Amino acid sequence: MARDRNQSEDYTGPLKRLLSAVVIFCLIALFLVWRIDSPRVERFRANVIDRVVPSFDWAMAPVTATVNLIRDFQSYQRIYEQNQELRRELQQMKSWKEAALQLEQENARLLDLNNVRLDPRLTYVTGVVLADSGSPFRQSVLLNVGARDGIIDGWATMDGLGLVGRISGVGQNTSRVILLTDTTSRIPALIQPSGQQALIVGDNTSAPPIDFLENPDLVRPGDRVVTSGDGGVFPPGLVIGQVAQDPGGRLRVRLSADYERLEFLRVLRDHGTRAISETGAVIVQETDAALPATPDQITDSAGVEGDNG
Amino acid sequence: MAEPSQSRLWLMRAAYVGLCTLIILFHLLPLETTPRRWVAPDLLLALSFVWVTRRPDLVPILSIAFVMLLADLLLQRPPGAWAALTVGACEWLRRRGPALREMPFAAEWGNVAVATVGVILGYRLLLGLTMTGQAALSLSMIQMMMTLAAYPFVALVSQFVFGIRKFAPGEVNALGHRT
Repeated sequence: MARDRNQSEDYTGPLKRLLSAVVIFCLIALFLVWRIDSPRVERFRANVIDRVVPSFDWAMAPVTATVNLIRDFQSYQRIYEQNQELRRELQQMKSWKEAALQLEQENARLLDLNNVRLDPRLTYVTGVVLADSGSPFRQSVLLNVGARDGIIDGWATMDGLGLVGRISGVGQNTSRVILLTDTTSRIPALIQPSGQQALIVGDNTSAPPIDFLENPDLVRPGDRVVTSGDGGVFPPGLVIGQVAQDPGGRLRVRLSADYERLEFLRVLRDHGTRAISETGAVIVQETDAALPATPDQITDSAGVEGDNG
Repeated sequence: MAEPSQSRLWLMRAAYVGLCTLIILFHLLPLETTPRRWVAPDLLLALSFVWVTRRPDLVPILSIAFVMLLADLLLQRPPGAWAALTVGACEWLRRRGPALREMPFAAEWGNVAVATVGVILGYRLLLGLTMTGQAALSLSMIQMMMTLAAYPFVALVSQFVFGIRKFAPGEVNALGHRT
């Protein structure tokens, strides 16, 4: 028996060892290539996901639905208390709704008086969440909209309530959203009403901390946090959440978006705001520089409005 | 005699790949979109270790490499690093497999523990060396403990559902013959 095994190992041993060395070498090489030229490999990854995940959608959707059904079933046990609680909340909401309607009308009147032009380009594409990151170390979800639907890397993603994350990685039919809770997420934000600038830094907890805050004394738990639009990352004024203080005294954001159930997400189309870099051209018209730009601008904006309308 | 055993061999090889794909799909289900404080055991790792220790002929190196690379790509890990370490650990276990066959389960568990710790610490070391961002150390430690704790259960399920048991002495000849 022992002789037999030795004999077979004599023939196949070196070959097998060579094969395993080659395989490990190839994998390490792939890792190093990823480390050196990440965008190319990430595009390959996006293509693989694009091919694999939608083809399993038929299996994943029913299983997800079943698990969620079982979870919901557990919550039936305390359905009475829930009902009471909802009724109370509904009462409060009705009064708030009245206030909101009045404010909305007032706001519309004021905007009309001032002839304010809101940004007409902020439209959105809605996608369904196909899959999550699948790993406890990463916080991201996969949407079923991609380059086919005109999605571009870096666009903001919201659910109905608040900011959820940004697009990072677009395949033909899918795109990945890095959530605000991921460790790689950094979002420039504005804290109202004090107007302080800060960064919302994801750290793999459900309430990301606020960093690079100029004067923490001016910020109070309960303040609203919105995107500031700095660095051209996001359009300004998207709701992120409310300031909260953890037991350690650190300021964090309680996110408005309902991270418990991310099912449908809106991807905001953002074509960027045109930056005004020069001042002189407005006053002294240099014919060869200014003239070609003007018709171009007109056709550009006309084309976009035609698309939207 | 040779024909059914050949087809059974390929069936079991396909079963390994299918089982691993199933585990990856369950990872991908959009059920957990909030960060967690604890980490589930890495079932892919435990399953590969059970099969490669007990029935090395059912998990050729290429199928391990394929499954692990697919997991790297789908689960948003740096592609290649985890796969390379897992393949290395599996090959080490494969070489130690014959010696472990006569020993009790505790010895097998100990060897798998060494391999698991090696993979997880090696992964953190590799990411640290290349200055890639990585998650908290505590999460990795929890994952390591959970994977080790899950190993006996994965072994039991493999044994009773898929018939992955240690070779009896008589079967070694068949293996030698087959390879």
